[in-house]
Amino acid sequence: MRYFLYLLTTFVLLSFTPLQGSAQESLHIDIFGPGEERVNIFIAPARSLDDDLLPRPEQGAEIRSMLQDHLAFLPFLSPVQPEHILGGPEVDGVRGREIDFRKFNLSRVDLLLTIGLDQYPVHPGTVEIRSFEVFGQRMVLGRAYDLEDEDQIPLMVRRFCAELMEYLTGNGDFFRSVLAFERKQGENKDIWSVTPQGADLKQITRLEGITLSPAWSPDGEKIAFTLLRDNRHQLGIWNLQTDETSTFNLPGNTIISPAFAPDGRMAVSLDPMGRPDIYWLNDDYRLDRAIMEHWAIDVSPSFDRTGNKMAFASGRLGNPHIFVHDFKNRQVQRVTYEGRYNTNPSISPDGRYVAFSRQTPDGHRIFVADLANGRERQISFGPGNDEDPAFSPDGYFLAFSSSRSGTYQLYLTTRNGDQPVRIPTGQGNAKAPKWGPDRNF
Amino acid sequence: MNKRTVFLVTLLAFLLLAGFGCGKKAVEAPADPAAHELSEEEQARLAEERRKQEMERQALAERRLQEERLAREREKAETMVQIQEARDEITQKRIHFAFDSYELNQEARSTLQKISEHMKSFNDLRLIIEGHCDERGTAEYNLALGERRARAAYEFLVLLGVHSNQMQIISYGEERPMVPESNEAAWAMNRRAEFKVLD
Repeated sequence: MRYFLYLLTTFVLLSFTPLQGSAQESLHIDIFGPGEERVNIFIAPARSLDDDLLPRPEQGAEIRSMLQDHLAFLPFLSPVQPEHILGGPEVDGVRGREIDFRKFNLSRVDLLLTIGLDQYPVHPGTVEIRSFEVFGQRMVLGRAYDLEDEDQIPLMVRRFCAELMEYLTGNGDFFRSVLAFERKQGENKDIWSVTPQGADLKQITRLEGITLSPAWSPDGEKIAFTLLRDNRHQLGIWNLQTDETSTFNLPGNTIISPAFAPDGRMAVSLDPMGRPDIYWLNDDYRLDRAIMEHWAIDVSPSFDRTGNKMAFASGRLGNPHIFVHDFKNRQVQRVTYEGRYNTNPSISPDGRYVAFSRQTPDGHRIFVADLANGRERQISFGPGNDEDPAFSPDGYFLAFSSSRSGTYQLYLTTRNGDQPVRIPTGQGNAKAPKWGPDRNF
Repeated sequence: MNKRTVFLVTLLAFLLLAGFGCGKKAVEAPADPAAHELSEEEQARLAEERRKQEMERQALAERRLQEERLAREREKAETMVQIQEARDEITQKRIHFAFDSYELNQEARSTLQKISEHMKSFNDLRLIIEGHCDERGTAEYNLALGERRARAAYEFLVLLGVHSNQMQIISYGEERPMVPESNEAAWAMNRRAEFKVLD
């Protein structure tokens, strides 16, 4: 994938059409708002840039379908069906001056995308994707891509979607991220990766053991995990550059829930004192010092973007509950008061929210607690168990695992509890998703 | 030749006679051929007897060694059988726990008592105590809970006199259910500590 970065050239289309009509407010979505805003989007069928027939029209259809699939993950975009476009879904050209915006406006389309192709005999050629605000009749994003190979199409689509989401919400990291997760095959579990949209599924480890709790380093260069093999626990570190895995022994019998702090240090739950507590490791992955010691179980550290706050699960009150440790004032704040089994904390990058799973009479469900006012909100509703919530880097999406289909699979929702979308990861249970920056992007 | 000569001759004759007398006596034993042959036979017989005796003695010692060796082997085999029986008994044992608990109930304690007897009888046994959980909790907390369960068993065995260097613990959390089903009965079976003996 890495070489695509050099082969795939993009340039900004400068042909912005002048603003027409009234000074309409731009289309912007506040993803941190109540989550009720909706933008109607339509992607016009691809067409040739020079009005000729496309030699390979199926390629245009593929790009369009991939754009539709990717943008369908954004809950604030509502696709308009082609049959609902008065006068037909086609555009006369891909540029603003060639588009009859009135029919799209009448069809209540807010955001229109056009795809223009200049196909070479062998290569896919040039692809231009434009995005228009229909009411203002102006182009808000235009990108051109020179593709050397068909394999570059998915990356092109992700790049365009990242920029479009950035334009709409101010943050496009959703399309620039990659998820690491556990996938079970037979008796073994390995770490795999996949984009949050379900593309680029890859096996990371092949260790013939049980690998658990993957965690990305902040630079996306490493994944740490627990390895259960040969009657013991080990800490595993996979390195992106070498594609190799190293294992480390640590004092005690258990190595649970490794997590990197934003400064690159690793926190992990170990039991050198005979009870699982959360410790810092040094740069060589050796025991440094305890973050806190308590007679009860302390596991699952999760850090905010500054590294000042660490959410964790602890059995110190008799049952597992969620707490937040503040490194600045050295205080521990209790987050959950309801329920008897609250685990799997994930603190939002801005440090304001903590997502966790709570055992209810119907199974585990995902809740989000607001640390500012102590309110919590249930955002998943099963059936089965909903576990392992993980905040995305933009703090808007949450990936989680759920047994709602009968086996554990990965799903995406948002902090607002939007309808979960399944992330395809193939056969075998998939659990414990964690977000990292995609270094191949 | 007169009286002096006669005396000398007489003396000589006497000496000769005396000499013959002695000679006759000295020659008498070797001159008895029957006595000489008997002695050689006797010697050979005796040697043969001695050889036989030696062989018998050796055979006896061999038999004794053989018996001792067989006895040792029997004993060893019996010990092996006993160890194997102990191993089988240990590995067939499980202790069970309540939900989100690592407290040892009475049944668990008596099971551990039996395991401790085997462990103390056979110092060479190396025990792995596995802590397991049901699927109702969540993975990371269950990994910690499995550790507490295995450790509870470990500490009780230490109290019962088992050497700590004979044992190690590992938590599998919810990763290795005994009964891969989702119902109360399966969950109760899956909340357990298991015992493996290292080869």
